[in-house]
Amino acid sequence: MRIRVAPAFWRAWVVVGLLVSGIGLADVLAADLKIEAQLVWGTADAKSPNPQHKPVEADILKKLRELPLKWSHYFEVTRKQVALPAKATRKFELGRCDIEITSLGGLDVEVTLLATGGKKIVKRTQAFPKGEILVLGGNAPNSTAWLAILKRID
Amino acid sequence: MMDINEQLKLQAYLDGELGEAEAREMANRLTQDRESMALMAELRNTRQILVGFEKGIRLTESEDFYWSQIRRRIEAQQSRLPQLEHRVSWVSWFRRRLAPVTAMMLVAFAGLVAFRGTGYFGQSSATEVETALGDPGAFTYRDYSAGTTLVWLSYPAEN
Repeated sequence: MRIRVAPAFWRAWVVVGLLVSGIGLADVLAADLKIEAQLVWGTADAKSPNPQHKPVEADILKKLRELPLKWSHYFEVTRKQVALPAKATRKFELGRCDIEITSLGGLDVEVTLLATGGKKIVKRTQAFPKGEILVLGGNAPNSTAWLAILKRID
Repeated sequence: MMDINEQLKLQAYLDGELGEAEAREMANRLTQDRESMALMAELRNTRQILVGFEKGIRLTESEDFYWSQIRRRIEAQQSRLPQLEHRVSWVSWFRRRLAPVTAMMLVAFAGLVAFRGTGYFGQSSATEVETALGDPGAFTYRDYSAGTTLVWLSYPAEN
């Protein structure tokens, strides 16, 4: 038995198919991650002695205050943005340390913190969805702290 | 100006369907009202034409045989009708089922694309792995609800 179906019906399916495959293709092609890296100084003092320091943005401050850290004030020392294509690695300097980020595909990244001279301090692999932050930090002189904050912005 | 009811009444008068009193009233009107007279003439002409047309049709076979042929054709068409209905209903069933499924798929796909970057959908295949290469004193705190991870190092900042 031959069934006749209106051409408009098949056209609609073709459009749906193209739409789905087009979005899927765009999704694969636009898989670059954009990561913002900030070097932040944490202190108990409300004012930084360095006039070039500026307080961190409100959303970062909110997230830092939710962490088990004793400092109440955080100042941005430097900031960088990194575009990371899928399966690529980017290495950049942040203050006196280097950070190497590798996109493992999808949401997964590998972050390596390197000290001066290239010595690897810590390497972490995790999912890094948009809006999340990864903080690598440690104690600094005079009961202050240094924090390398990575935030995925896209 | 005659309204539709008056026009219909005139038609009924022409067809002989009015009562005696109304027919007399209409006849009286026709002697005085030009519009009524004109419409009456038009209706008469139309009827004459239709009657003449009917008279022009001559059947080649007997009237009973002619109408029995028509009845047989109608019955034959009716016998094919259920099959046609079945076809139509199958296609419409196909459309009825597929249209919502398609819509749901599109909504789900749009949601997947929208939440692609949020991590709520399993695009992550990697488990969390941390290797303290040069700092055995490092520890990690992760707040999943806030989307925050802290890796605290004991490595001196001066280095």
